[in-house]
Amino acid sequence: MTNRVPITRLGKFFGENDFSLEVSMGQEWLGGDMNFTCVLYKVDRIKTKTDDVYGETVEDGIKFLPPVEFNAYVGIAAPENKNVGSTKNAQLEPGNITISVYLKTLEDLNIDIDFGDYIGYYDSEDFVRYYTVVNDGRVISDIKHTYKGYKPFYRTIIASPVGPNEFKAL
Amino acid sequence: MALPKKIKKYLPLTESKTLLPRRREIRDMIEEDGTFLPKSLLHADLDRGFLDFVRDQLTCVVEGKTIPMIDILITTQNWAQFTETWDFQNIDKNTEPPFITVIRNPEVKYGNNPAIVYNIPNRRLYTYAQVPTWDGNRNGYDIYKIPQPVPIDLSYSVAIICNRMREVNKFNQIIMEKFASLQAYQTIKGHYIPIKNTGMSDESVMDLEKRKYYIQKYEFTLCGFLIDEDQFEVSPAITRAFQIFETDTKYKKGKKKKVIPPEPAIIEFTIPVGQTSFEELFNYTLNLNFTSTENVESYQVYLNGDYYGQDLDKLEITTNDTVLIEVAKLDDSKIGKVLYTQELI
Repeated sequence: MTNRVPITRLGKFFGENDFSLEVSMGQEWLGGDMNFTCVLYKVDRIKTKTDDVYGETVEDGIKFLPPVEFNAYVGIAAPENKNVGSTKNAQLEPGNITISVYLKTLEDLNIDIDFGDYIGYYDSEDFVRYYTVVNDGRVISDIKHTYKGYKPFYRTIIASPVGPNEFKAL
Repeated sequence: MALPKKIKKYLPLTESKTLLPRRREIRDMIEEDGTFLPKSLLHADLDRGFLDFVRDQLTCVVEGKTIPMIDILITTQNWAQFTETWDFQNIDKNTEPPFITVIRNPEVKYGNNPAIVYNIPNRRLYTYAQVPTWDGNRNGYDIYKIPQPVPIDLSYSVAIICNRMREVNKFNQIIMEKFASLQAYQTIKGHYIPIKNTGMSDESVMDLEKRKYYIQKYEFTLCGFLIDEDQFEVSPAITRAFQIFETDTKYKKGKKKKVIPPEPAIIEFTIPVGQTSFEELFNYTLNLNFTSTENVESYQVYLNGDYYGQDLDKLEITTNDTVLIEVAKLDDSKIGKVLYTQELI
């Protein structure tokens, strides 16, 4: 059991009730109006068999927990046209996805997002692109992630695209 | 435990050909390089040979799957990349790791292959082969001449792009084993070309907020040479002519030659100054016919010590007879001679 200390910052103008109201209104906007939907494929770290030395899986060897849909604010960076290293093999590398998700959403769905988890995002009806979490945004002490300095209310998660060689949700 | 030497480790799955099929096989083998001249070897041939070397001798199999290789050198024409990678592209049309690619550095330097680098300057032609010819009438030889090959060094990078350390390890193992003796060889159009491993580098993308993958590049130098068949020269050499002369077959009787009898040999009995006789032993049978005398007034002949006669015109002598001639000289201060012609019997 952890100690819980009430936050009394901005107490004369703002409080827990206001905070909860703002968050619920934001969730309503994000889920009801925007409805950006992502799918979390959380790696099952028990069932996934890994190499003893490198901790790598074989192809299609990643096992995941039942996928969970969640609403988040999504931004996808522009693709980058470049060669693979210094080879002359050109490719259009898809950009990272940046997901901003309410802490309340994660709490309601009883999920957490860690480094290495996979996130699917439907570009169109028949095409989903998968990303692996490269920054799980767990540190949210900065002012940006707080509601006007009152307390944190969302996480920013950055994920990089992966190819079917690594993950294809099968 | 080692196997006994007489036990075959592998059984051939196909039987060796014999008789006519074998002869056809040998004919095909000869005709494959069926020229007296070496095959032309230019940059494109060397590049293709190196790609074949990577594809066939650096084949990397991990978890039962062969890591695909881009079987062309990607140049300025981007569409060519797709033609070789379409079967391992993802939905974005990007090549999906793992894969192997070959990069050739565009610059080609003068080679340092010691076998051919130090030699006679200027590009004169050297006799390469003497080839017998037959045009239906004449046997002959053609002289095949080629210029000295020009040594060149081509630099390649072979890169493996993959997601797993196992693939990196496997490829590294293959290269280390292949080049454990410093260099490996590739046969390119019948020429034996050495390839050296000159180093390696790592360009793996390990940025935190980017897609991570390994890129390991191995540097190779192919010690090749250039032979251009347009510079070959074939010139005719010795030709042996087969000549037939047609002659008249009618027989003509020629004139019989007159036989000229040989001159009989002259035997000379010389009586020195101060002497009056001369003796000689004959080892054969002959007749002596008198010819002439010089400074002799008269002479007497003794045969085997017995008196035979005086001033004789003919003497009959048998084997081992001794002839003694006594003369009366006209002038005792000069030599005297009695000449006979001899007739062997």
